[in-house]
Amino acid sequence: MPEVVLQDVAKHYGNSIAVENMSLRIGDGELVALLGPSGCGKTTTLRMIGGFVDATSGQITVGGRDVTHLPPNRRNMGFVFQNYALFPHMTAAQNVAFGLEMRGLNKADTERKVREALARVRLGHLADRLPRQMSGGQQQRVALARALVIEPDVLLLDEPLSNLDAALRHEMKIEIRQLQQSLGLTTVFVTHDQDEAMSTADRMVLMYNGKVEQVGPPDEVYGRPRSAFAAGFLGIPNLLPGRMTATQDGFRMEAGPVLRLDGQEAQMGKSLLALRPEVVGIAAEAPEGAANILPGRVEVMTYHGAAVEYHLRTEAGPMLTARATAPGLGGPNVLPVGARVWLHWAPSAGVIVSEN
Amino acid sequence: MLATPAIIFVAIGLLAPLALMLRNSLNHYDPTELMISAVTAENYLKFFSDSFYQGVLWRTVWISGLSTAICLAAGVPVAYFLARHVGDLAKRMLMIVILVPLLIGNAVRTSAWMLILNDKGVLAAFLGLFGHKGPLGLMYSSAGVVIGLISVLLPFMIITLNSVFESIDRNLEDAGESLGASHLTIMRRIVLPLALPGILSGSVLCFILSMNAYATPVLIGGPTFHMMAPTVYQQIAKVMNWPFGAALAFILMAVTLILTVGVSVLVQRRYRKWSE
Repeated sequence: MPEVVLQDVAKHYGNSIAVENMSLRIGDGELVALLGPSGCGKTTTLRMIGGFVDATSGQITVGGRDVTHLPPNRRNMGFVFQNYALFPHMTAAQNVAFGLEMRGLNKADTERKVREALARVRLGHLADRLPRQMSGGQQQRVALARALVIEPDVLLLDEPLSNLDAALRHEMKIEIRQLQQSLGLTTVFVTHDQDEAMSTADRMVLMYNGKVEQVGPPDEVYGRPRSAFAAGFLGIPNLLPGRMTATQDGFRMEAGPVLRLDGQEAQMGKSLLALRPEVVGIAAEAPEGAANILPGRVEVMTYHGAAVEYHLRTEAGPMLTARATAPGLGGPNVLPVGARVWLHWAPSAGVIVSEN
Repeated sequence: MLATPAIIFVAIGLLAPLALMLRNSLNHYDPTELMISAVTAENYLKFFSDSFYQGVLWRTVWISGLSTAICLAAGVPVAYFLARHVGDLAKRMLMIVILVPLLIGNAVRTSAWMLILNDKGVLAAFLGLFGHKGPLGLMYSSAGVVIGLISVLLPFMIITLNSVFESIDRNLEDAGESLGASHLTIMRRIVLPLALPGILSGSVLCFILSMNAYATPVLIGGPTFHMMAPTVYQQIAKVMNWPFGAALAFILMAVTLILTVGVSVLVQRRYRKWSE
């Protein structure tokens, strides 16, 4: 499997910029997720790799071969569409056979490969069904089989799970990951769902307004978001404005208090301290020896099954969100709305992010 | 329940006159007494024993078939282009332009075509600029009639086909292309089979309209060019032979029905083979 390289790729529609100078190297057999809100340019990027959108500038190479202006039918890429785009007048087997027929494969080999491809996605028994006679998950698997049977250089998936219900989505996520790894496929996966991206990808590319916001392995991007957008998109609601102290072991909140902080790279000027709700402890009594303590009051409590989420007003001013394990699972007793509490966290728990 | 008044209206307004005509077609015609009540097949026998009227029917069928075929050949690319490659605003404008011929009355539009097609008309003058000499010979010819028919049928074809092409998911074409198909193959294997129901209904519409065309054959075809609808009118209104006029109308209807149903069945059977 070859690697895919995007070099300063851009797409402009008149005056509006869909994707701005994007450079990205997708390694041999790697699964990269393009993640971001709608309109961030992730789908445009995928369609440029697939050849459905012509890049305004820049270069796209696959295994060293320049494909920037090659039509889709000469790129040898497998594309799975959000709505699957199965040919409605052809059976599952005919859909899968289509790409092989285009390659001029003889009838016997075509039949054998179609059988194998459908068996690989566990649909051998539905080969003669029309798409409308199949469930969403089954159609999704036919679409995968159709894209894989042509032995593509690259597999491109456009929001492949967004039309499935929650249980099926989880199952397909694992199935896609297993297929991709067992076949060693270089894969690009577009999604707006951070869980989907984190659980399937080797690396995530977080995009915003046509630009790459942050690239890295899921644990790194999740653990060390670089910007307020990245933190917000990855589910960190707590962003405290302020600036680093000169000694670099403290963060002076705009609201006044100085918080202790470890292991941050120096950030000059104004920045934000991002705190995950999970790392913010909440106690009814002032805790002994905690590095950072802010007193506050419970304003809203919401129940999430495994966890309880508190929205708190600190006495210093800003709102904070804290997440505690539910009492039934060994967590502390639920605190009533209006209760005075102490919020505390370790110096290593916070991350400094830039304002967008 | 809600449809009941409409059904009664259609039954009275459409079926009753048809029944009456069917009854008339079985009556006897006398040049002095005109219609005499009877039950006889003589009017139908007259059609099948007179080569003139069979010629009229045959001419009507091939003129209609040819007009429909040309509309289809011209309509498919135009409708597809409009559905896929034209922006919303431009498409709305073009649609209005395409619909303009339908906004003008039949007789008025056909008269305009007479001005264009006649030997001293607009087209002759235009071709004269490029050195064309001699009469065009389009007025009072089958070619002229076909041109006149196409001018009114093509909008129907384009509108029908355009809505069909627009209803086909673009991703299907992209999927075909990513699997290695050429544009021609995508057309043949994906777009046309999916558009087939619309292609059929557009063609049936054009064919029926042109089988029953009146103004065009009369005005452009002239007094010696005979098609079925004007002949029916002539029998009923000029000759006052109601029984034979009614029989001709029923023969026209039957032939139109048999041909459209027959072609639809054939094409659909063929289509099933395509998709295998």
